[in-house]
Amino acid sequence: MAVALVFGLGSLNYQLGQFSRAGPGMFPLMVSSMVFLIGLITVVRSRFVKPEPLSYNMKNISLVLLALFGFAVISMHINMILGIIFLVFCSSFAGTVPYSIVRNAKISAGLILIGFAFQKLLGLQLPLI
Amino acid sequence: MEILHNLAFGFEHALTLQNLMYCAIGCVVGTLIGLLPGLGPLSTISLLLPLTYSIPTTGSLIMLSGIYYGAQYGDSVSAITMKIPHASSIVACIDGYQMTLNGKTGLALFTAGISSFIGGTVAIVVLATAAPALGEVAFLFGPADYCALMLFGFVCVSFVTTGSLLNGLAMAMIGVMLGTIGTDVNSGVQRFTMDLPFLADGIGLISIALGCFGIAEIVKNLDSGSQLTPFNGKIKLMPTWAEFKRIIPSALRGSVIGSFLGILPGGGPTIAQFAAYAIDKRFSKYKDEIGHGAIEGVAGQAAADEAAARTSFIPLMAIGIPENAVMALMMGAFIIKGIQPGPNMIAGHPELFWGLVASMWVGNCFLVILNVPLVRYWLSVFKIPFAVLFPSILFFCCIGTYSINNNLDDIFITSLFGIMGYVFLRLRLDPAPLMLGFILGPMLEENFRRAMLLSRGSFSVFVSRPISGTLFAAIALFITWQVLVFYFQTRRRRADPQPA
Repeated sequence: MAVALVFGLGSLNYQLGQFSRAGPGMFPLMVSSMVFLIGLITVVRSRFVKPEPLSYNMKNISLVLLALFGFAVISMHINMILGIIFLVFCSSFAGTVPYSIVRNAKISAGLILIGFAFQKLLGLQLPLI
Repeated sequence: MEILHNLAFGFEHALTLQNLMYCAIGCVVGTLIGLLPGLGPLSTISLLLPLTYSIPTTGSLIMLSGIYYGAQYGDSVSAITMKIPHASSIVACIDGYQMTLNGKTGLALFTAGISSFIGGTVAIVVLATAAPALGEVAFLFGPADYCALMLFGFVCVSFVTTGSLLNGLAMAMIGVMLGTIGTDVNSGVQRFTMDLPFLADGIGLISIALGCFGIAEIVKNLDSGSQLTPFNGKIKLMPTWAEFKRIIPSALRGSVIGSFLGILPGGGPTIAQFAAYAIDKRFSKYKDEIGHGAIEGVAGQAAADEAAARTSFIPLMAIGIPENAVMALMMGAFIIKGIQPGPNMIAGHPELFWGLVASMWVGNCFLVILNVPLVRYWLSVFKIPFAVLFPSILFFCCIGTYSINNNLDDIFITSLFGIMGYVFLRLRLDPAPLMLGFILGPMLEENFRRAMLLSRGSFSVFVSRPISGTLFAAIALFITWQVLVFYFQTRRRRADPQPA
C-alpha cells in the first residue's frame, strides 16, 4: 500500500467527517466518525507498511471525461447525434491505436443507428434530433 | 411435494414464449459481453440493465439473471482460451489454460459447460428448498437483527473482496455515506444535496455502478494498451466416454461446495471456486494431474462457480439483504421494477419468485444447448478491435444513465464516479464493498433508527437479542483476529528487516 494512497484516503475522510448536520444528521455523523476512525487507523498503519510508487496516466482519464461531459452538454443544447459524434471522435484520442477519421465516422454512424433502434424498438426517450 | 407443485407453477411462468425469449437473449448477450476482456459480471449487468427497463417485471428479472450467469460462463471461456482472468474466473485460468496449451480447448470448454449445468441444477434444488424456509426465519428478525446482519455482511464482504478488512470497511462506509445523500426519509430534510435539485432523490445506483465499473475499467484497459491475439485454434468439443466419466464426481463435489458457500454472507462465486479447486486437489482420484490441465481442475470450479452464483440469490430473496456487489445490483434492479426483495416477496409475488427459479434452470439448458456448441463462433468477438469497442461502451454507459430518469445531469454524476472508480482502481481498492454499502446504507439507517426507537435509545438491544448478539460477537471475533494477524505480521517484519 502506498503512503500516498493512505493519506489521500485519510484526507477524503476528514472532509466527510466534518459534514453532518443536527437532527437527521445523527446517522451520517455516526458513519462518518467510523470512516474517520478507519482513516486514522490507516494513516497510523501506513507507518508500518513499505511505501509503493503509484502510476497515473492522466491523459486517458481526462480525455474520456472530456468526451463524456461534451456528450452531455451537446446533447442538452443541440442534439444527441452531434453528441455521439463528439463522444467518438474525442474519446478515440485516448489509447494507443493510431487515429483514424474513417473508422470514427463508421463507429459514429453505427452508434447513431443503434440509438434510433433503441428509441423505436425499446421505447427509450432519447433526444436524438 | 409442495416444492414440486411450486416448481411446476414456476415453469408455467418461465416457459411462456416471451419469457423463454428473454431468458435466451439474456444468456446470449451476457455471454458475449462477459467474453470481452475486463468486463466481468458486475460491469456486464450494469451495462445491460437499461435494456430491461421497458420489459415487464418477470421478464426483465429473468433476462437479468440470464445475463448474470451468461456473463459468468463467458468469463470462464475467456479465461480458458486466453488466460484473461476476471475476479470471478481466476481459478479457471489455472487448469483451463493449461488444457488449451495441451490442445484440449474444446474439452475444457465442454467440461466447463457441463459442470456449470450440473452445478446450476444442484443449486436450484437448494434454492427452491432453502429460500422459502429461510424466508420464514426472516420474519423473526427485528430491526436490531437486521442491523447486525448488515454489518456482518460488510465485514465479510470487505474481507473477502479486498483481502484487507480496513480498506474494505472504509469503502463500504464511504458507500453508506453516499447513500445518505438526498432527502431524509424520516424528516424530509435534504442532506448533502448542495442545493442541486437533481441530488434531492439521491444518487442513482446505476450511476455509481457504471462509473466505478464501466468507465473506470475502460480507462484502465486503455492505460494498459494491451492488444489481444484472437484465439484461432481448432476446437473439438465432444469428449470421450472415459473423459466424461471424470467430469461427474468432481462437478458434483463442486456443486455442493458452491451451493453452501453461495449462501454465506460475503460468499459467492469467487470463494466457491477456490474452495472447490482446493478440495479437488486434495480428494480427487487424479489429484496429481491437477494444475497441469486436468479435467477435474476445470469441472469442480466451474460447477462451484455456477452453483454459488445461483444460491447467492437466496439471502437476497429470502431476507432481502444482498450478500455481494452483484446481488446489490440485482436488488437495485428489483427495486427499479417496484419490488422489494425480502420475506414478503415469495408470498406476495409467487409467480416472480418461482418463475425466476424455474427460469434459472431453463437458462442453464440454454447455456448448454446454445453456448457450448456455438462458443467457437463467439470467440470471434475478440476480433473486434478495442478502438471500436470502447467508444461504443462509453455510449452505452451514457444511454444507460440517461434513460433511468431521462436526465442528462446523471451523465455528469456518472463521469464523476468514473474518476472516483479510476482513482480507486489505481490505488488498488475494490469498489465492490462501496456498492454494497450504498445499497444497504439507507436500510441500515432505517433499521438502526427503528431499533433505537423501540429500545428508547438504549444500545443494549443490539447485544441482548439472541440473533444480533451472536452476529455482533462474530464481528468482534473477526476484527480481533485481524488485528492479531496484523500485529504478528509487523512484528515478524521488524524482526527480519530484509524480507525475502
